[in-house]
Amino acid sequence: MKKKHTYLVLFSLCLVSFQCKKENLEDMVFEINEVKLYPSASSKLKEKTESQWIAVVYTNLFQQALSAGDIYKAGQCITSIGDKELAREVIISNFMNSTSPLPAIPTDTDMRADIDKFINDTYERFLIRRPTEGEKQYFRNEINNNPTRSAEIIYFSFALSNEYLFY
Amino acid sequence: MKRREFIKKATLTSAGAMIAPYILPSGRLFAPTGTQIAPHVVLVMYAGGIRNQETVDQLYLSQSQHTWNPTPSLNVTGNIMPNLLSGAAPSSKVVYGVGTSGNTPISPILSTPIQSQGVLFKEVNAIAAGHYGGSIALLQGNTNLAQPLLERPKTPTIFEFLRKHGGYKATDTWFIGNSLTNSVPLYNHSGHEDYGAKYGANMFIPGVTFGNQGDQFLKDAKIYHPQNELSPMYKMKYFLDNSYESLTSNNILDTVGNTEAEKQQIKNFMKTMFQKKQAGTVIRPPQGGNDASTVGYALEVMKEFKPAVTVIKIDGPDVCHSNFTGYLRAIHAADHAIGYMWNYIQTQIPDMANETIFIATPDCGRNLNPNPILDNENNFRAFDHSDANTRRVFTLMAGKSIGNEPDKATGPLSSTSPLNTDAAITVGHILGIEQEMLNSGFLHSQSQSLIRKL
Repeated sequence: MKKKHTYLVLFSLCLVSFQCKKENLEDMVFEINEVKLYPSASSKLKEKTESQWIAVVYTNLFQQALSAGDIYKAGQCITSIGDKELAREVIISNFMNSTSPLPAIPTDTDMRADIDKFINDTYERFLIRRPTEGEKQYFRNEINNNPTRSAEIIYFSFALSNEYLFY
Repeated sequence: MKRREFIKKATLTSAGAMIAPYILPSGRLFAPTGTQIAPHVVLVMYAGGIRNQETVDQLYLSQSQHTWNPTPSLNVTGNIMPNLLSGAAPSSKVVYGVGTSGNTPISPILSTPIQSQGVLFKEVNAIAAGHYGGSIALLQGNTNLAQPLLERPKTPTIFEFLRKHGGYKATDTWFIGNSLTNSVPLYNHSGHEDYGAKYGANMFIPGVTFGNQGDQFLKDAKIYHPQNELSPMYKMKYFLDNSYESLTSNNILDTVGNTEAEKQQIKNFMKTMFQKKQAGTVIRPPQGGNDASTVGYALEVMKEFKPAVTVIKIDGPDVCHSNFTGYLRAIHAADHAIGYMWNYIQTQIPDMANETIFIATPDCGRNLNPNPILDNENNFRAFDHSDANTRRVFTLMAGKSIGNEPDKATGPLSSTSPLNTDAAITVGHILGIEQEMLNSGFLHSQSQSLIRKL
């Protein structure tokens, strides 16, 4: 009799645990497409410090982090030059010339194989947003109409843009 | 065309027709009213706080050490600035030179001291007792009691006056600093909303730009082809900038407005400097430390850009807070560096030789009484800067169109003494914008061009 009770309790527990299974949000079906959200350019109102800019541009170009000591030293270089935009330009040029590590830039063949993907990826990589249709069309034309336009030069323009100075 | 649209277009066209003749190629609206006295000015912030007692008074140790320690060997007077000032050197207790115990003075470079070529205002009123306030007072022609450290000057600097009212381009105006400390990298423009970065000066802090930091992050910059690579890069950048500006209400920060051609010239200059550094051929006065190096790079800038105004900040003598012997050596070494600079301009930069006016003035003086710190080498007393004696400084001026008045503004400091803020309006006067600066309302009420006092 006692054994029978034990089986009954175990069976009930199994039933309860099955019934009370926690529902995950992912399990729920809303019948809408999953959409990845990006911030808009208009929400970028805070200026990056020189150190922040250095850290981010290095990471974007090399896909790895720069040490804190090097971020500090590179920031000092910007501080030491009157024209900050020129200072940033020289630092980017210096990074582009690096042989170890090499900057992670798509080859021109890869860029031209799927131009829309390259444009989307570049906007997401540097500006953390999707391009507008107008922006996309501008860069499509730039690439299609200029056979020598390289991914490196396009990356350069993004890294030097004003939007890239804000977050 | 609708009536309203027609009126709008007609109004804009008329306004454009009226304004257009006054917009000069440099972007300024009106031509400066004054004429240039000389096309180039070099202003040296002979700084770090130095006392008139050890400089123009030529009292050496007698009123710095002997007063507090009446040992006869310390009762020595004499001139330790043989390139700038006329006067015999101390005859004994020589510690301000080089070599063992500093007992060998550096040989003068100039056969005739600058005092004997130009004008020495012996008693000039420094209107701020600190380095940052004192230095930017020279650039602003005024002082601002609410000016905090590590913030841009509150009112326009001479660079901005020159660029906004005189139409000078960015590479006509240079500031060469000696350090990243003491807010020095903020000297090249103010934070004033009507002036600011877009009228600011170019600047290098050579010890950093061309130092270890520059070696790592600037030296190997790729040189892109100006037309094939840089031009399209800038074009795409401007597109991105316009796109961002149309999407945000954010205030885009201005930068020093170098044109693309000026940027290219500066980048090429930087490349050359790294090459010269590697080859050991950067211009440099034979003696001295960081101040000498700063002056050397300033000469490189002058040689390349022939600026209308070059401001050089040196501050080795500030070691006086704790090391009086070092202070004497720094004053002597700075004199050597400036003598070298003046000689170099006259002999090696043909465009600036005989066409330049030189002004040197300290940011502030130092105290009458010492602090308790004795230096290790000679047990000399050190001096800070905060009392009335801190207001006593000098201004030395020489060059094109400047006659010789070696003893101007002598006697005790008074309310009629020149101000060290006169430096700014003097530079403006030399370069043709005196009236615009006076009209701006930003100058000290007593500020006046020193040339008007000759």
